Amino acid sequence: MTARTTGTRPDAGHAGPSGSGPGDGPVPAGPPRRAKVRKAATVLLFLAPSAVPLVLFTLVPMAGSLWVSLHEWNLIGAMRWTGLGNYAGILRDGDTWRALGNTTLYIAGYLPLVYVGGLGLAMALNRVTRGRDLFRAVYFLPVITSWVVVALIWKWLLNPSEGIVNKLLAVIGVEGPGWWTSDAWALPSVIIAAAWKDLGFVMVILLAGLQAVPAEALEAARVDGANAWQRFRHITLPLLSPSTAFVLVISCISGFQVFDQVYVMTSGGPAAAASEVMVERVYDLTFRYGRVGDASALSWVLFLVILLVTVVQVRLQRRWVNYG
Amino acid sequence: MSRGLKATAAFALAVLLAAGCAKGSATRESAPDGKSTIRYFTFSAAPDHLADLDKIIKAFEAANPSVTVTVETAPYADYFTKLQTAIAGNTAPDTFELNYESFVAYAASGALADLSGEAAKDDLSVYAAKSLDTFKRDGRQLALPASYSAVLLFYNKDLFDKAGLPHPTADWTWDQEMAAAKKLTGKGVYGDFQPVQFFEFYKALAQAGGAFFSDDGKRATFNSPQGVAAAKHLLDKPGTVMPTVAQIGGTPDYDTNLFKQGKLAMWHNGIWQFAGLKDVPFQWDVVVEPAPVKASAVFTNAVAVSPGAKNPAAAYKWLRFLTASDVTARTRIDSSWELPPLADAKAYAGYFDQGPPANRRAILDAVASATSPPVIVRQQEMQDTVTKALEQAAAGKTPIQKALDDAAAKVDELIKQA
Amino acid sequence: MGNRLVYAALVLAGLVMLAPFGWTVLASLSPGGVVEWPPGGSLGAYGELLRAMPFWRILVNSVVVAALSTGLQVGTSALAAYGFARLEFPGKEAIFVVYLATLMIPMQVLVVPLFIEMRSLDLVDTYAGLLAPTIASGFGVYFLRQAVRQVPRELDEAAVIDGAGHLRVFASVVLPLVRPALATFAIFSFMASWNAFLWPLVILRSPEFMTLPLGLANLHGQFTTEWDVVMAGSVVSVLPILAVYVLAQRHVIAGVARTGLK
Repeated sequence: MTARTTGTRPDAGHAGPSGSGPGDGPVPAGPPRRAKVRKAATVLLFLAPSAVPLVLFTLVPMAGSLWVSLHEWNLIGAMRWTGLGNYAGILRDGDTWRALGNTTLYIAGYLPLVYVGGLGLAMALNRVTRGRDLFRAVYFLPVITSWVVVALIWKWLLNPSEGIVNKLLAVIGVEGPGWWTSDAWALPSVIIAAAWKDLGFVMVILLAGLQAVPAEALEAARVDGANAWQRFRHITLPLLSPSTAFVLVISCISGFQVFDQVYVMTSGGPAAAASEVMVERVYDLTFRYGRVGDASALSWVLFLVILLVTVVQVRLQRRWVNYG
Repeated sequence: MSRGLKATAAFALAVLLAAGCAKGSATRESAPDGKSTIRYFTFSAAPDHLADLDKIIKAFEAANPSVTVTVETAPYADYFTKLQTAIAGNTAPDTFELNYESFVAYAASGALADLSGEAAKDDLSVYAAKSLDTFKRDGRQLALPASYSAVLLFYNKDLFDKAGLPHPTADWTWDQEMAAAKKLTGKGVYGDFQPVQFFEFYKALAQAGGAFFSDDGKRATFNSPQGVAAAKHLLDKPGTVMPTVAQIGGTPDYDTNLFKQGKLAMWHNGIWQFAGLKDVPFQWDVVVEPAPVKASAVFTNAVAVSPGAKNPAAAYKWLRFLTASDVTARTRIDSSWELPPLADAKAYAGYFDQGPPANRRAILDAVASATSPPVIVRQQEMQDTVTKALEQAAAGKTPIQKALDDAAAKVDELIKQA
Repeated sequence: MGNRLVYAALVLAGLVMLAPFGWTVLASLSPGGVVEWPPGGSLGAYGELLRAMPFWRILVNSVVVAALSTGLQVGTSALAAYGFARLEFPGKEAIFVVYLATLMIPMQVLVVPLFIEMRSLDLVDTYAGLLAPTIASGFGVYFLRQAVRQVPRELDEAAVIDGAGHLRVFASVVLPLVRPALATFAIFSFMASWNAFLWPLVILRSPEFMTLPLGLANLHGQFTTEWDVVMAGSVVSVLPILAVYVLAQRHVIAGVARTGLK
């Protein structure tokens, strides 16, 4: 994962075999051991402030949910041990696989849209100077608007009979679909709304990355006769690769946990079942159906899927990510 | 950093930590000598009736100087999330509100304290016997009824008059309702509005003379011919006399606004809408719902004591006051905040003469033919299953009979698993 | 040349992004939240918003909580980011994967175990309990690690030769150079805390602790909702983050200009 781990190894081998045990070898072991302690202290200084809270307030609850996943529990009554029964039930349940399929479809649709759109906005913004602050603020508005409001607006825009989108489609002679009320179009509706809302988020990350692209390099390439596409392809994109890698990994991790988006757009509607995603099931099982054990088991199945996808992504990224 | 600065920083940090760990007013353990504090958690007070609840608490505290009541509210949509988590964490509020639909699961899980002991020392004849019995399990009183509300047929008198149609009456049938609805629909006006979901279905089923469960309660029987008739009655409306789901388009309170704008002739809804319709610029009234067999949806809320309550006697006293005192009855009636579950309707006689609607006594008709929602331990799953089946049928994806058969099979499973 | 085209595209995109917010404003000005043309101009919903809850108190709570949580997360994440990017220690990759793994379990399923833990620490209904899960952020560590890795190593190696320890290098060389990333992450963590709902809902009990999303949720009744007030609340709750965002973005540009890193 760390491309440069071999770069500097200041004192990795110094302690040697003789300095490994505490207190053996009276005089010569002194300095290396002290260096080792100091090094450990440095690592602790940098990591402990985040590691301790993460262990206490995320890993401990994670262990708790693993324990819960081995029980039948409705929160208000007693826990009953079921071993791996919840996992067996969850994996046998067709709803699980449908939800996993929907989640995957969501990511497949959402990720390209939001990345290309966010990159387009970031590039365009990077070219202009006048009104840049204003544009940035405007593009960020959807990111900070609550999902409750965003869903209201998009359901209204994508209303099958009265919505503006279908009315515009009718003008060019296309009969619009049922959008979020139809099984086939419910997920695409969510994807459109989610991509629209998150464009600004991706834009901000990529803008921070674009600041690191040196103007001299682009200018030099221009002098050498490279056209806009070549400059983009061979200079900007490679220099942006760390940001891109980050966006892909993070969007996948959060995409697998998509919840609010779907919950406010389609749950309770006619296409609720056709667009149900994993965490929506987790939420329903926990807080509505009183099946916390099943919800926890489902979450751990999801965890394994995300872990697998992330590890594969990070491995692959070693080939194309360029940390200047 | 100088030593003085460090000391200041350390002091600031200590103050911040102490402030950060300080308990809030709702959970501070600071009952002054001899006083006990009762925590009460409710969904029905916010946002409109907080002042009314406060009035009841003030009166209770005046009558019981040794008890203080602290209130915690959550919106209905999030109430049970918060309550369940609190119970799971062993920090349940001393007393809390519960609707009848969730009562069964709470009772079965041992999350409710048995009030029978306190109740035995008390005269409970003020309560309507039927509503008291609703919250008994195996002879134990596990909650006290707190309020009830009923679903009626709201109608726009002006629209009926303009169309030259007679107003709906208590003996109307489904056919009469449909016939009128068809005549009233058109020119931007819809004739009727009745959502396609579980709560409308269980009631329509009773109105068709069917039963939701078998007599022993072990089997779902709503896929009977009566069930199909009930579903058909509901599904006939959207697209003919009522807007479709696509037309409603997820607009919040679509039906409420439609009725308020005078564009809806008949509306199946609850008496909780009365307050919001005070100022509409047309004449309207209510009547018990049309049906082949009279049956009305009546919803009851209850209040319960948590098994871990520190002072169960005081908790019981508070709930007794909250549900059946004169102050409560008066406050509820004055603010149209559902109705108190009292045996003697005289206690709230004034309510019926308040108008509009003029025919508030229709509520008594509804109570006379009240049918409570069917409940099982896995309630929410059952409700979702039935609603989904109706939606499948409404979308034409599954024939009504098959949709109901599938749903009944699933509900049978849910009953068995509980 | 192409600049005019770029501007046209930016404006068009801007309108698409802005329209829904405009609609929210209009709805907040229309009685009942039903937008009609010409738009209503009633400020009644804003007045109702102030009446329906101790609004200013709630606003202050939200600002304080979000600021604290942002400060903590940026601090702890920047330290760890430096640790992962610049220090060598055994098991580094595995530990980093654990950091990432904290992001991979749905928060919805952690709420109950976390609540039980808070109960045993007696932190239910306290700010400490509210803030505890937001002290550190796996997301922040990952995001900032990317930024630190992009800082040329020659710069801090030069400082190391001058005899500076890691803490000095971190504070005086690396931090100034990753200011755009710090500001960006600050926006995200402020936003996350500002909008947080589920955890505050279960951990807070007392009305005086309430944060904005909880207050706004209370506007929804069981049967009816005054949508104009909800929309007014939505407008008001967007403004503070927008301000934080604009300020932080300026910081991004200023930071870049000052360090001479283009």
